[in-house]
Amino acid sequence: MPLVLCRVDDRLVHGQVVIGWGRPLAIEFVALVDGGVATSQWEQDLYRMAVPPEIEVRFAATEDAAARLAEWQASDRRGLLLTGDIETMAALHRASPAVVHRINLGGIHHRAGRRERLPYLYLTDDEARALVALEADGAEVFAQDLPTSPVVELRNIV
Amino acid sequence: MTGRWRALLRLFAVQGTWNYERMLGVGMGYAAEPLLEDLKTVDPVRHGEAVVRSAEFFNCNPNLAGLALGATARAEYEDVPGPQIARLRTALCSPLGSLGDDLFWAGLVPALVGLALIAVVFGAGWWAILGFLVLYNAIRVGTAVWALKAGLDAGMRVGSAISASWIPRAIARIGPLAGAGIGLAVPLVAGWYLRGFGWSGGSGALAIAAAGLAVARWFGPSLTGVRFALLSMVLLLLFRRMGL
Amino acid sequence: MSELAPLSIALLVLWGGIVALDLVSVPQAMLSRPLVVGMVAGWLVGDPEAGLRVGAVMELFALDVLPIGAVRYPDYGPATVVAAGLAAGAPWELGLGLAVGVGLVVAALGGWSLRLVRRMNARAIQRRAAALAAGESGAIRLLQYGGLFRDAARGIVLTGLGLLVAWALVRWLRLDRPTAVGLTLVAVGTGLAAAVNGAVRSAGRGARLRWLAAGAAVGTLLAVFR
Repeated sequence: MPLVLCRVDDRLVHGQVVIGWGRPLAIEFVALVDGGVATSQWEQDLYRMAVPPEIEVRFAATEDAAARLAEWQASDRRGLLLTGDIETMAALHRASPAVVHRINLGGIHHRAGRRERLPYLYLTDDEARALVALEADGAEVFAQDLPTSPVVELRNIV
Repeated sequence: MTGRWRALLRLFAVQGTWNYERMLGVGMGYAAEPLLEDLKTVDPVRHGEAVVRSAEFFNCNPNLAGLALGATARAEYEDVPGPQIARLRTALCSPLGSLGDDLFWAGLVPALVGLALIAVVFGAGWWAILGFLVLYNAIRVGTAVWALKAGLDAGMRVGSAISASWIPRAIARIGPLAGAGIGLAVPLVAGWYLRGFGWSGGSGALAIAAAGLAVARWFGPSLTGVRFALLSMVLLLLFRRMGL
Repeated sequence: MSELAPLSIALLVLWGGIVALDLVSVPQAMLSRPLVVGMVAGWLVGDPEAGLRVGAVMELFALDVLPIGAVRYPDYGPATVVAAGLAAGAPWELGLGLAVGVGLVVAALGGWSLRLVRRMNARAIQRRAAALAAGESGAIRLLQYGGLFRDAARGIVLTGLGLLVAWALVRWLRLDRPTAVGLTLVAVGTGLAAAVNGAVRSAGRGARLRWLAAGAAVGTLLAVFR
């Protein structure tokens, strides 16, 4: 099965990912793409702990992930691609536009310079522009924190 | 380190200032205050930095927040570099959110609500309500006491403490119980309400329930259960007003 | 509803404030579960049976909510207080439908008010950003007390307004028996759908789904042959 959800969420693996999306989509592995986590064993242990034993977590830095996208897409298990920021997801889209095509903004939170667009989505103007560029490049970008929340298309956010 | 009991009490209000920017952050800072008090006399500069860190963005299931609170407070006393504590705090959001949500919101709460509904159907009345409250609160208060102690004991090694704890095993058991509890409760509750309305009334309500399930499948989040209910009620009132 | 004494109304409003606080802020002791809220509210106005019946239907809707992360959801606590107050004093078969309908509107408003309080909390934090950056414990305490106060006030206002609207509605909307019964059947039917939806979504496709199905099969047999 292919990657069934490509999500940007700065909290990485948490309840919304594991229970909210993981259960209804029957996710079997999470591909967590984050350079910092990919080189930190103790953080990997914590993120692994956040998922039930039947879900595997695969860690990768951006370049490594870009090279493994085809492998993940061809996997016989249902996967969720997860990045902590827009930049990483955009890089993965450029590496494989067909695989990373529909991009879910699930949670980007407050930080200096960011403005609230939705309760779970705060973006700087640069980040908003990066998302628009991503759509211009052929990706479909939408915000939705949980399957039970309404889908908000990018044009209604930026 | 003193102030453990005060910190524990304050943990029950850890979501008191919930907001979309820091989430539980300020509540964590409030709960951390008694734990960090002794640091003020030992190292006032470090104390100030620790207070700032304690109220930064944080998000996890409130019932497991004590693990992060205890671990980071101990790390502050052990002089662990600030950025490392901040990184631990961020990484802890993940398992403490996910495990806590699975254990409490997706497990214990529906399991006990299901049991309480079944007890109500069988006429337990007040006993069902009391039993539900006592059982839930015994478990969550016990969990809060354990979580704070485990966090304080483990410090930066809190990850190993969580993985070796009872929580993963409890989640594996409570999930099936929640499923079975709600599965049992829903038809019993349906029978409890619909018995007195005869075949036509009962089958009408069940047909509406079936329509509600179909609508949820087709329209998803744009037509929630609440919206569907209100829409059906308004339609019924309109039809009745038109004499249908 | 129209016969509620001022003391009963005051107690309902106070109970509404307590259960609104319990949902998120403090103490999260599950006092805010509709089953609990309904029974206590019914007892406060002298009709625990009506409160329990209303509470159990509102509980079915609440089972569709999984409060994970920062997700937005209705607040069923004050809503159930209003619904139980509205249903009190009449046979539940006639009063439940309208009460649940009003309760669901109050629940949706409650969800909105919860978001409002969260934004107000964020603004309060922004106002005290300098004190927070300086590590002032006093600022944290004040923010916390402010947050708790706002949430309690939210629950009290919501319950009070809900009771007022409910009172006006019963006077304006005089339902005949078939309509009242029809609304009750709609409330129960849609509540059942919400609970099943929530349960299936939480179950995923693994062992928990099988347990859910097994429970439902046994429950159906028990319900039929009881």
